[in-house]
Amino acid sequence: MSKLYLLYGLIVVGAMATAQYQGWRLTPVGEAQIAPKTVRDNPGSYRPVYGGFRRYLGGK
Amino acid sequence: MASQSASCPNCGAPIVFRWSSSVQTVCDHCRSVVIRTDVDLQKVGVVADLPLDGSPIQIGTEGQYGDKPFVVAGRIMYQYEQGTWNEWRIVLDGGADGWLSDAQNELAISFRVDNPHLPAPEMAPLGYSFNWNGVEFTVVSRTLAHYAGVEGELPFQYWDKTDVMFVDLRSERLDFATLDYSDDKPTLYIGKAMDFDALRLRNVRTFEGW
Amino acid sequence: MAEAQGRPVVSVRSVNCPNCGAATAVRTFGHAVNVVCQSCGSILDGKDPGVAILQQYTQAVRYEPLIPLGTRGKILRATSASGPERDADHEVVGFQVRQILVDGVAYQWREYLLFNPYYGFHYLTEYGGHWNVVTTLRSLPEGGATPGSGRSRSYHGQTYRRFQTASAQTVFVLGEFPWQVRVGETAAVADYVAPPRMLSGEMTADKEATWSLGEYVDGVDVWSHLSLPGAPPAREGVFANQPSPFAGAAGRMWRAATLLLALAALLWVMHLATAREKVAFAQVFTYDPRGIQDSSFVTPVFELDGRPSAVRVETATDLDNQWVGVGYALVNDDTGQTYEFAREVSYYQGVDEGESWSEGSRGDDVTLSRIPSGRYFLRIEPEGDRAGHPVRYRVRVVRDVATSLWFLVAVVLIVIPPIASTWRSATFERRRWAESDDAPAASSHDGDDDDE
Repeated sequence: MSKLYLLYGLIVVGAMATAQYQGWRLTPVGEAQIAPKTVRDNPGSYRPVYGGFRRYLGGK
Repeated sequence: MASQSASCPNCGAPIVFRWSSSVQTVCDHCRSVVIRTDVDLQKVGVVADLPLDGSPIQIGTEGQYGDKPFVVAGRIMYQYEQGTWNEWRIVLDGGADGWLSDAQNELAISFRVDNPHLPAPEMAPLGYSFNWNGVEFTVVSRTLAHYAGVEGELPFQYWDKTDVMFVDLRSERLDFATLDYSDDKPTLYIGKAMDFDALRLRNVRTFEGW
Repeated sequence: MAEAQGRPVVSVRSVNCPNCGAATAVRTFGHAVNVVCQSCGSILDGKDPGVAILQQYTQAVRYEPLIPLGTRGKILRATSASGPERDADHEVVGFQVRQILVDGVAYQWREYLLFNPYYGFHYLTEYGGHWNVVTTLRSLPEGGATPGSGRSRSYHGQTYRRFQTASAQTVFVLGEFPWQVRVGETAAVADYVAPPRMLSGEMTADKEATWSLGEYVDGVDVWSHLSLPGAPPAREGVFANQPSPFAGAAGRMWRAATLLLALAALLWVMHLATAREKVAFAQVFTYDPRGIQDSSFVTPVFELDGRPSAVRVETATDLDNQWVGVGYALVNDDTGQTYEFAREVSYYQGVDEGESWSEGSRGDDVTLSRIPSGRYFLRIEPEGDRAGHPVRYRVRVVRDVATSLWFLVAVVLIVIPPIASTWRSATFERRRWAESDDAPAASSHDGDDDDE
């Protein structure tokens, strides 16, 4: 039983080291498809998939 | 261990003292208690048959205490409120006298130790401790017993005593001691608790079905 | 083990009950102080040739022993005892049912007297399917003559914790005993435990204390060593000296966990030390929300070098009671691979009745994972309240970013199994001690019993 736990723990530590090294995130942030080449010349033509944010209806 | 043969002063049957240190024996035929003086044998009393007893040891049982072989030569049986126990007299190779006590199969070997400073019975209550021979002994039982019978050869005269106080003591380990208040002055016996196998007992009683 | 040499064999005998005339076999060859008539239950004097009656009573309830009198087997093999004694047969010669009363409820247990003519007497006790092999001690445990005194006792170098003190009453007897027994007699008993062992002290009215040491054994082993048919009774609850199946496991797991945590910490520190946190791009921009609406633009190209690693994009503003939204797209100039993310930054503050408050933050960080190396630029599209002030903001792109997130995740995953193991062990112990005198007040019944 203890051997099994040790194996489990080593896998966890290995995964941790890999994740750190490769820069993983828990919730990957925004990946989209290939942007057209023309974006550099005309940024306005690019319509982002993730557009629009919630407006902050501020206050105290 | 010179044997000395003689005749029972009461019935004339042959009496044998196998050990020179023996003072008393019981005639097999008439059950007279016979003591040996410098001159002759004397009858001092008669013993009844011993009460029913389950001890696996008998006269003639052989064993070994450490590296010393011994033979069981005699016995004193005591009776107390809860039942009986036996003090078997053993003689070691070389003639030394000792005792094998047998209380419901709890065995202990002990030898008399001379000690002038022994407590009176009331000075040895349960749980009290004494230091003898560098070992701490604690009182574990106090028993008022009376004599129930004798058998075989004993190193002193002993029969038909009234109630006697025995105080048993034990150490943290397996040491065993008894304070015997049979006489005016207390006597101390010191030894060890032993188990049946450790004593390598041979020629023990056989039991039907076992 | 014995050579007869012509000496007479000690025979089995039987006694005839003066009360009812029935014959009862006597199995202990002169040890029996009391013999119970197997027919009418009267207690007879085993040492009296006239067989006097010591206690006569009519039994309202007759208890049947689970192990019949006369059963023989090498029962000591079930314990850790050493020596030829454990390989000898022992025979069941006596049976008792005893009980304690707690809040008017009777908790009964059973004791079987075992006998061997050379090794003497032992006991087998049973309560709720839990079995113990018990031996009478000759030495006294430390701690006082009265069995119940002292919260713990020491015997042969081991410490035993007090589990229960009670008054035990004999309810039923069968067979024969090397001491006096009477139905109805009581004794003050105390149990101390150091699983799998239990130290029990018993004192009768005459103030003589007897101590004994019990070792927990499995009912299955009892049944197999005594060759009994069927199965032993099922176990209920956790018994006082029942060994915990979890104790050792938790400790081993924690030791392994310590090693794993040390290894994880080492790798984490190495990660922190080697993360370059290299600024790949930094520039300050201004956004005027009152201006043109489509304010998207692209940054110059910058290099994200090295192995694929995390990239942190920082937005630092000078917001004051305003919000601004920034739509980012990180675009690989060669492949066109795009990573989109929108950030919102807002900061409000003021003084209200003399107390200053603030809400939000002027800056924002976001980390992107596993960005391959290459030449990149950012497409930035800010957005804000039409009526707001111009906002200056600095955008920074940091390559090879350190994170402690995975170390924390690893720590949690590593400690969960030993915590679970410790919890299981603790639950087992709680169930054990729930039956003791020290049970929490919530359970008002001091359940169970114990044995000699």
